[in-house]
Amino acid sequence: MTTPVLKTTPVLEVENLQKLYYSSGGLFSGKRKPVKAVDGVSFSIARGEVLGLVGESGSGKSTVGRTLLRLHEPTAGTIRFDGEDITHASGQRMRDLRREMQIIFQDPFSSLNPRSRIMEIVGEAVDLRGALPKDEREASVIRLLEQVGLSRDHLHRFPHEFSGGQRQRLNIARALAVRPRFVVADEPVAALDVSIQAQVMNLLVDLQRDTGIALLFISHDLGLVEFIADKVMVMYLGRIVEMASARDLYSRPFHPYTRALLSTTPSVDPREARARKRTLLQGEPPSPANPPSGCTFRTRCPFAIAACAAERPAYRQVGEGHYHSCIRDDISGGEPLRAVA
Amino acid sequence: MLRNVTLVFAIGFLAAMVALAVFAPLLPLPDPVKMDVISRMAGPSWAHPFGQDEYGRDIFSRIIHGARASLAVSLTAAALAGAAGVIVGLVGGYFQGWIELATMRPLDVILSFPPMLLALLAVALLGPGALTLTVILSILFIPAYARVTYGEVLVVRNHEYVEAARALGHRPLRILARTILPNVAGPVLVQFSLVVASCIVLESGLSFLGLGVVPPTPSWGLMIRGARAYMHLDPMGIVWPCMALVFTVFSVNRLCDHLRDVFDPKARRVSFSPASAIDEDDGARGREAAAGSATDDMLLDIRNLTTEIAVPRGSIRAVDGVSLKVRRGEAVALVGESGSGKSMTGLAIMKLLPRRISRIARGSIDYVTADRQRHDLATVPLNRFRAYRGKEIGMVFQEPMACLNPVYTIGYQLVEAVTAHARLPKQETWARALKALKQVGIPDPERRLHEYPHQLSGGMRQRVAIAIALCGKPSLLIADEPTTALDVTVQAQILDLLEQIREASRIGLIFITHNLGVVAEIADRVVVMYCGQVVEEGTAEEIFYTPRHPYTRGLLASVPKVEDKTGGNKRLSSIPGAVPSPLALPPGCRFAPRCAHATDLCNAGVPALEPVSDSQAARCVRWRELA
Repeated sequence: MTTPVLKTTPVLEVENLQKLYYSSGGLFSGKRKPVKAVDGVSFSIARGEVLGLVGESGSGKSTVGRTLLRLHEPTAGTIRFDGEDITHASGQRMRDLRREMQIIFQDPFSSLNPRSRIMEIVGEAVDLRGALPKDEREASVIRLLEQVGLSRDHLHRFPHEFSGGQRQRLNIARALAVRPRFVVADEPVAALDVSIQAQVMNLLVDLQRDTGIALLFISHDLGLVEFIADKVMVMYLGRIVEMASARDLYSRPFHPYTRALLSTTPSVDPREARARKRTLLQGEPPSPANPPSGCTFRTRCPFAIAACAAERPAYRQVGEGHYHSCIRDDISGGEPLRAVA
Repeated sequence: MLRNVTLVFAIGFLAAMVALAVFAPLLPLPDPVKMDVISRMAGPSWAHPFGQDEYGRDIFSRIIHGARASLAVSLTAAALAGAAGVIVGLVGGYFQGWIELATMRPLDVILSFPPMLLALLAVALLGPGALTLTVILSILFIPAYARVTYGEVLVVRNHEYVEAARALGHRPLRILARTILPNVAGPVLVQFSLVVASCIVLESGLSFLGLGVVPPTPSWGLMIRGARAYMHLDPMGIVWPCMALVFTVFSVNRLCDHLRDVFDPKARRVSFSPASAIDEDDGARGREAAAGSATDDMLLDIRNLTTEIAVPRGSIRAVDGVSLKVRRGEAVALVGESGSGKSMTGLAIMKLLPRRISRIARGSIDYVTADRQRHDLATVPLNRFRAYRGKEIGMVFQEPMACLNPVYTIGYQLVEAVTAHARLPKQETWARALKALKQVGIPDPERRLHEYPHQLSGGMRQRVAIAIALCGKPSLLIADEPTTALDVTVQAQILDLLEQIREASRIGLIFITHNLGVVAEIADRVVVMYCGQVVEEGTAEEIFYTPRHPYTRGLLASVPKVEDKTGGNKRLSSIPGAVPSPLALPPGCRFAPRCAHATDLCNAGVPALEPVSDSQAARCVRWRELA
C-alpha cells in the first residue's frame, strides 16, 4: 500500500487506519465477531486543503472522521497530526490537540445541548482558548455568530428556537471558536432543505477559504463534494476504492463503483434523467460483518471476474495523485457507467 | 387553570408544613407527648382541633411535631440518596468498561438484600434513632436514583452534543456536570419526589419495628401505627396523619414536576389545552359523499383543501387551499421543503391527520372508484373510510422500519395486510403474501417470509413496505419520501420498482419528496408547494425547463450539479432567509420576503394561481415580466 505523495505540507497523515467493532455473539455462542468498519485506510490532508470523502451508509466514512479525532479509538494504524503521532496520545494531550481539530456533525437537532443558551454553547468553546474577561468573551461570541450569519440577538436563546439551518450555523460557530486547523464536517448539510443546504455550503466554502482550515468533508452527495473538495476519496465497505483530485475523479473515474455512483447522481433534467438506465448496481452493500473475499465490491460489480475473489486488490497509482483498487486494467475507465447488460 | 391551582396549593402546603415543623417548639401548641387518658380518643374541640389520640395526646400538635421527624428523615434521606445515586449513575453510565462494572454492580448487591435485613444490620451497628433511619433509607434508595440516571446517561451519551463537547477537548468531569447532568435532571427530579414519598411510608414501617423514631417522640409513621389498632373505635385518628402524608407526598410530586418543566427550556411553551382542540367531526363541510360521476380517467381530484392544526398559540393552516388532480397511471410529484404542507396533504387524503388537534377545514377530496363514482373522502366518516385504506389507497412512508412491526415476521405482516381486505383460506393468503414479495423483487421470497424486519437491509424493508401497501390492490399509492432514507444506488432500485408497478397496474402515484433529482426521474406532473400553498404546477418538462415561479427557479438553481464546473469563485446559488413560521405568514405572497423580485404589489394580497399554459400555473403576480 502506498501513501500518496503531496506537494504541500500535510497537516494530517493517516496510515493503514483500522477500526474493528465487536458485535455481541449469539445467545449460546460466546464468540464475538469483529466487524471491520474501517479496513486499512491511508491518506493525507495538506494545510488548507479540502478532502471529500464519499460513500454510502455503512461504508465507514463517518467512523473515519471520528477515529481521526480519536472520538473513537483506532484499532490499528497511525494518525499523525502536524508530524506528531497522536494514535496513542494521552488523554490530556488529546484534549489539547482537539482544540486544533474540530468536528461538525450531521444532525443539527442532537448536536446542540438543549439545556444551554447559545451564549454558553459557543462561550464554552471560546473558554478553551483561555479565560477572557466577561465582556471580551461576549464580544468574541458575537463575532463568531456574525461570522456564520447570525447576530447578537440570538445570544440568549435556546437551540430549539432555531431552524435546522441556523443550528448548523451554530455548530460551525462552535467548531470555529477554538480556531482549529483541521475540521471534519460529517454530512453537515444532509439534514437541511435544499435551499438552506446551499446557504450553509457557501458559508463553509467562505470560512474555509478565509481561515485556511484543512477540511475533511464527508458526504454521500457527489454533487456537494465536487463543489467543495480539492481531492476526493471514495469508500466502499471500509476501504478506499479510489482517490483522485476532484477534477480527475469526476472526469476520469476509474473504479466501477465510483463510476456507478457518478451515474446515479440525480439530474434535474427530466429528459436526460429518463433517457439513462437507472439501476446500475444490483443488490445492496454486503454486511461489513461478513464481507466478500478479495475485492469487497465484486458481488455487485458488473465487471467482476474470478480473479477478483482471490485476494484483496492492491491500491495502486494510475496517474498523478490518482489511485484506485481495481485489478482490471482492461475495462475502459474514464467515464461514468452508462449501461450495463 | 387547574395546573396552576394545584401548583399554588402544593407550594403553599409544603411551605406551611415546613414552617410549622421548624417553628413547632415556639408555637403555642399543646405538648405532643403529654397524655390525658381521661379524654382518650375525644373528637375535635376548640382546645384540640383534630381531636385526641389513644392516650389523649393532641393530634394536631403531634402531626406538627411528627412532621419534624418524618420530613427531616425523608427529605434528608432522599437528598443524600439522590446525590450519591446520581454520581454513581453518571459515572457508571458515562465511562465504560471496569468503571461501569465497579459502580453499577454493587448496587445490584444492595437490591438483592431484603431491606429489613439491611435495616437490622444498621441498627446493630448504630443503634436505633432518626439518624440510623436516615442512613438506612439513604442506602436503600441509592440504586433507585443510580438506575434512572444510568439509563438516561446511556441515552444522552450518544447525542452528538456530548461528542461535540469531547471534540472541543473538555474534561470528562466538566462534560458530566455541565453537559450531561442538566439533561438527566428531569427524570431525577421525578425520582426525588417518588423517593420522598416512599421514605415517609417506610419510616412508619421501620419505626414500627423499633428501628426508627423512638416513641413517645411523634412521627407520622408512629401515629399511623398507633391509630391503626383503634381504627374501629376512632376512625378519625388515622385519617389525620394519613391526610398529612397524602398531601405532603402530592405536594412534593407536583413541585418536582413543575421544577422539571422549569428546567426544561423546551417545555416552557404554553401547554396545549384540550378544550381548544378542534373536534374532527365538528367542522361544517361542503358537500355530501358520492358527488356525481366522473367521465375521464380521473382518480383523485382535490379541490381547495385546507387543513387546520390547533397549536398553543392559535391554529395553523398546514395546507391552505390546495387543489390537486391525479389520473390513473399518472405519477404526480408533490415537492416542497419542510413545512410546505406536502406531507400533510398526503396524510389528509389518508385521513391520518393527528386526531383531535387537526381537521379538514374546507375543500373536497374526490376519489373516483373503478365504477366511476366520485366519493368525497373529506366527508366519509372514519369508520367507513377503512374500506378505502389499503384497498383503494395505499401508503408508503420514509422510514420502512417505522411501519414494520419488529416482533412479527415479514410473512405474518403481509398476511395481516391480505386478510384485512379479503377473507381467504390460510393457504391462499400465504400464497398471496409470497406473490406480493415476488412482485417487489425480493430475492428468495420463501425464506424472507419467515424473517423479521431487522434481518433485512433498508432497501429490502422498503420493498416489503411497498408490498404491504400493494396487498389490497389499491388504485392510488401515496409515497411519502420513500427513498430519502436509502442510499443512492438503492434509491435507484426502488424508483425502478415504483415505475414497474405503475406501468403494470396503471396505479396512480403521489410521490412526496424534497429531492428534485428524484422528481425529474419519475414524475409526469409536478406540484411545487411552499408554506401550505401550491406555488406552481405543471408537467415535469414545464417545471424543469420553463419554471415561472421564482421559488421553483431558486430551488432548481440550488441543486449542485456535477457537470457544473466551478471556477475560481465557488458559489452555490441559494435562496436567502428561511421558511417563515406558519404563525407569522407574510400578508401577501408567502415567498415575497425571500424573493429577489418582490415589489410592493407582492405584499398587497395573496396572489392567485394563474394559468401559464394549459397544464402549467404559477402563483406569482410578476410571472409574465420575469418569464
